[in-house]
Amino acid sequence: MDVLLPYLSDYWRQYLEGAMIGLHGLIDAYPPGAPTSASERARSFPAPAVPSGYPALRERVLDEADAELIVLNCLTALEAHRNPYYAAALATAVNDWVRDEFLSRDERLRASIALSIAVPDDAVAEIERRADDPRWVQVLLPVRSELPWGHPSHHAIFAAAERHGLAIGLHAWGRPGQAPTPNGFTSTYFEDYLANQAVAQSQLVSLVCEGVFERYPDLRVVLIECGFAWLAPLLWRFDKDWKGIWREVPWVKQLPSEYVYRHVRATTGPAHLPREPRAIRQLLETIDVGRLLAYASDYPHDHGGGLPRLLSELDNERRDAVLTTNAAALYNRARPDRSPDRDGVSAP
Amino acid sequence: MIGAVDLSAEDRTEGEPLVRLVDSDVHAQPMPATLMPYLSVDARRYLERYGRRTHNDMHAYPRARGAGTRLDAWPAQPGAPPGGDPELLRSQLLDEWGVDYAVLQVLNALDCYDPADIAVELPRAINDWLTQAWLEFDDRLRAAIVVPHEYAHLAVREIERRAPDPRFVAVLMPANAQELLGSERYWPIYEAASAHRLPIMFHTGGFIRNLGAGPPSYYIASHVNTSPAMQTQLVSMVASGLFQALTNVRIVVTECGVSWVTALRWAMDSAWELMGPDHPRLERRPSEYIHDHVWFTTQPVEEPAEPQHLLYAIEQAQLADRLLFATDYPHWDFDSPTQALPRAMDAKLRAAIMHGNALELFGLRPVRSQPSPLATP
Repeated sequence: MDVLLPYLSDYWRQYLEGAMIGLHGLIDAYPPGAPTSASERARSFPAPAVPSGYPALRERVLDEADAELIVLNCLTALEAHRNPYYAAALATAVNDWVRDEFLSRDERLRASIALSIAVPDDAVAEIERRADDPRWVQVLLPVRSELPWGHPSHHAIFAAAERHGLAIGLHAWGRPGQAPTPNGFTSTYFEDYLANQAVAQSQLVSLVCEGVFERYPDLRVVLIECGFAWLAPLLWRFDKDWKGIWREVPWVKQLPSEYVYRHVRATTGPAHLPREPRAIRQLLETIDVGRLLAYASDYPHDHGGGLPRLLSELDNERRDAVLTTNAAALYNRARPDRSPDRDGVSAP
Repeated sequence: MIGAVDLSAEDRTEGEPLVRLVDSDVHAQPMPATLMPYLSVDARRYLERYGRRTHNDMHAYPRARGAGTRLDAWPAQPGAPPGGDPELLRSQLLDEWGVDYAVLQVLNALDCYDPADIAVELPRAINDWLTQAWLEFDDRLRAAIVVPHEYAHLAVREIERRAPDPRFVAVLMPANAQELLGSERYWPIYEAASAHRLPIMFHTGGFIRNLGAGPPSYYIASHVNTSPAMQTQLVSMVASGLFQALTNVRIVVTECGVSWVTALRWAMDSAWELMGPDHPRLERRPSEYIHDHVWFTTQPVEEPAEPQHLLYAIEQAQLADRLLFATDYPHWDFDSPTQALPRAMDAKLRAAIMHGNALELFGLRPVRSQPSPLATP
């Protein structure tokens, strides 16, 4: 938190110090002791596991990685703060710090824009503030939300992201201290951790049903750290329902699965997969991972050893797509050519 | 065991037909006036004056067209809801499709925010009405016991009251309650049900708060969301240690989908490999608890473009002896007994899903003493 103080006004510095406010709220998405919070390698360095500055990032990640581009996601849980002005100021401070501390010091680095959505105008203003700097490649939002992400109250954010060729990243966790499941509070971290993938499913449903991908045909959404093995059954059900009751949402003009594969990507972690190669091969028949997945080391987190098992079942083409080209396309800020007749669809 | 319902000679009388089709999710629905004769004077007066003040948004937001029911399932008599006329249900479901047993689930009390006295009387009235108007009407009908689930000790009393009647073959709970379903506040219900060898059926509906991602705007979204919502409920039940503590408990996930359990088992097992040692209530892999304790009704069964993919899910999640066919009559998304399952499914597996698994789970006789008039071969 101290590193952000230079980026905050006197008023907010006093506010912070007086209230002893931390960045993350009271419930930590990554309790330091939890096995999932840090890999063995991450634990070989002094705490905290998340690199808190460029030297640590370089030593722990950059010097080891043979990645050409690395996207930093600074998880801020800004939605935990009730004070909307503070949340907006903090988002700006976080992004200024990420720019100065990381982006300006290594050409391989890209980053996601931290955002407070408490006031939509502030969120859009923060996107506009960063838009001219091509090192920002994504708008970062928590997968958990008060209103589903497809809801029209969020569309201004999507419009701004689309306008500037920024992906929308929905990252696991969010809304710390509030119920993570549709039906209420969990008791264990185990449940809280697994709730992310259920919430991600509801968000996909919302984005499709609200016609977001019709309104914003160039928008790309990335599910970050929410898993992916669950996708096929969701789409089977969703497609079946759409065939029966699409009249309720006539602006949804195609099968939900078509929107999802065109507009949505998921990171490779967590790859919660079984050990039997046959099961993984069957999964690969049901999910087009060559289109869907973008590699993420998710440093410093540890979700088990599923990814190598997945990669070992992929042919070279799909392996290359997952490890390189999907993410490269996703985070390419150059705007794709648009067809002149953007098929405008209006919700009621 | 796949559909291996043993028919020893002494079980079967000459001429008795074998059971071929069990429908595990069928809805009877009373009008409020229907239940009034079964309620106490006090409860009647209270309900007549104030109505129920529960938080069940299922019927209001988002709005389902035609009350979410088949257009042809509305009875002729004015005011009667779909599932309100035993004659119509008999002709449209039991006779038309040759259903040998149908398990009735009355959803009207799935939300349970009534004051305790009302919360007790309402399920009791529904169960009395079920018995008189339905179970006595056709011997193919069975029912799940409606209970005041938010008052566990009172729910236990209702289970004890109905358990002696073998036509009640399960206990009904909502997929969404005040707390996550693994919560120990509900364990007395699970324990009482299991003591009577009654499975607990968790049906979509109840008190849906839509936390986590927020409330969906449309019925179609809420309908798809029942799958991820139930995923978090299964995680809750496993994590709570329910299946380790109550080794006889059998639950049925009803109308929430099926094939997602494959990936959920992988996710839970992966998480357990990392965190298991910190959870003494999880001695075994989560997938083992799920297989030992959890059944699924099929409707609305996922229909992948490649039907084979559904069979993958059944294989990977070991569902062959855990799936129970259901139509969900009279709701709009009725699954046809002849069309809903992939044609590529082998006969043994199909038989297990269409009747074998349900016969075993519900303890039903595999032969019917009275043939249904129009049973199809």
